[in-house]
Amino acid sequence: MKKALLTLLALSLLAWGLAQRYLQDPELERVKSGGKAYAEVFVSQRPDQALCSIHRNRLPADLLPKFLEEQRSLIKYPQNGKLMGDWKKGGAIFNNLQKANCFSCHFGSPVHLGGDVGPSLEKYGLKRGQSEAVQRYTYEVIYNAWAYFPCTVMYRFGAQGLLTPEEIADIVAYLLDPESDFNTKPAVGSK
Amino acid sequence: MPLKALLMAGALALMGLALAQEGVDPREEAKRQKQLLLETAGILPTELIVEQGKDLFNRKGPSGKTMAECDFGLGKGVLEGAAARLPRYFLDTGKVEDLDSRIITCMTRVQGFKPAQVKRSEVVAVAFYIASHSTGKPIQVRLLFPEERALYALGEKLFYARSGARDVGCATCHVTYVGKRAGVLPYADVLGKDKSWTHWPAYRYSNDQIWTMQDRIRACYGNIAHPQPDLYSLPILALELFLAYSNNGAVVEEWPAFVR
Repeated sequence: MKKALLTLLALSLLAWGLAQRYLQDPELERVKSGGKAYAEVFVSQRPDQALCSIHRNRLPADLLPKFLEEQRSLIKYPQNGKLMGDWKKGGAIFNNLQKANCFSCHFGSPVHLGGDVGPSLEKYGLKRGQSEAVQRYTYEVIYNAWAYFPCTVMYRFGAQGLLTPEEIADIVAYLLDPESDFNTKPAVGSK
Repeated sequence: MPLKALLMAGALALMGLALAQEGVDPREEAKRQKQLLLETAGILPTELIVEQGKDLFNRKGPSGKTMAECDFGLGKGVLEGAAARLPRYFLDTGKVEDLDSRIITCMTRVQGFKPAQVKRSEVVAVAFYIASHSTGKPIQVRLLFPEERALYALGEKLFYARSGARDVGCATCHVTYVGKRAGVLPYADVLGKDKSWTHWPAYRYSNDQIWTMQDRIRACYGNIAHPQPDLYSLPILALELFLAYSNNGAVVEEWPAFVR
């Protein structure tokens, strides 16, 4: 009886595990014909990516609290505790296609014409000020956008290791510092 | 060859023009560029590649056979409308094949070429030629065989997947942000009104390249820094079958197409 219960438990755990995966084994086998690098991102797809895939970027309300909590727990802060770093370094990252590539989706850069996939950030710091709350919000959205906007298209720069906490603090400074080119120079394409 | 040299010069001149143009309707702009190229060079790059493809199609392979001995889905040597019904399952190979992979099957199994002898540029040229026989035809792919259904289901899943270090996936932009812009062009509604399946194979005037949908899908992944699936692999076929089926009934305006 005890053994049967254990088997049942093991089976239900297995079922739960499978339910959380997006591509099943026969599908992964086919995906492997795409080459090692391509297959790897699906074999090692993260559970949060699987959830967004399963629900096509619209998570059901009952999943949201746990999802948001998990995403929040991924956020780390700079060693020195400062959320605003060097705006000049931040600008170089913001405007680099290979690096953060922020301008491709957000309008507001004085260097490149911005896109309109994300909200306009034109004169971001002048409109919002530099309060602790604004610094924190800006830092956290860049570090892990899914902690505020589950499954959004915006890269999770910190959570996925694309940028360091210090680099993100530099971008926060680029957006917020009233002295930053972002706030003193006109955005490319501004009317 | 002087024709090609002339064409190259025309294309290069156009590239300069093309790069200077932004913020115009991409379809209208492509039509304008096409007309301009026709007036300067007297022939379109698409027509030139179709001619090359025709020569290759009628070239005898090691077995002494031309590609007219191959079945592209509607019977031996029948090209009229064949490309509009691909990808599909073929009984002789037991696989779902698109235009590219069926051309390779033809070259290797019927014409007797070794797989290593098959050049990508030749596959694309023949694809241009065969596709040119489907201009004006509606897309008609089916999900009849189990393998067709399995690949369609996989293609749909890959389309909606979020993966890689940038959490990217096709649908995240091509469904959620249709019409919005990140970079030069707005995101096409590939499953819906833009009927993107009918835009390939195509000549790209912005960089003088000839691409089939296989190249286009690989470029989509590459542009968003996601690892690319290998040419002729199942994930590409799966995405193609999903896209083609989603565009079923759409009439091919012109194959090969002329795009940015």
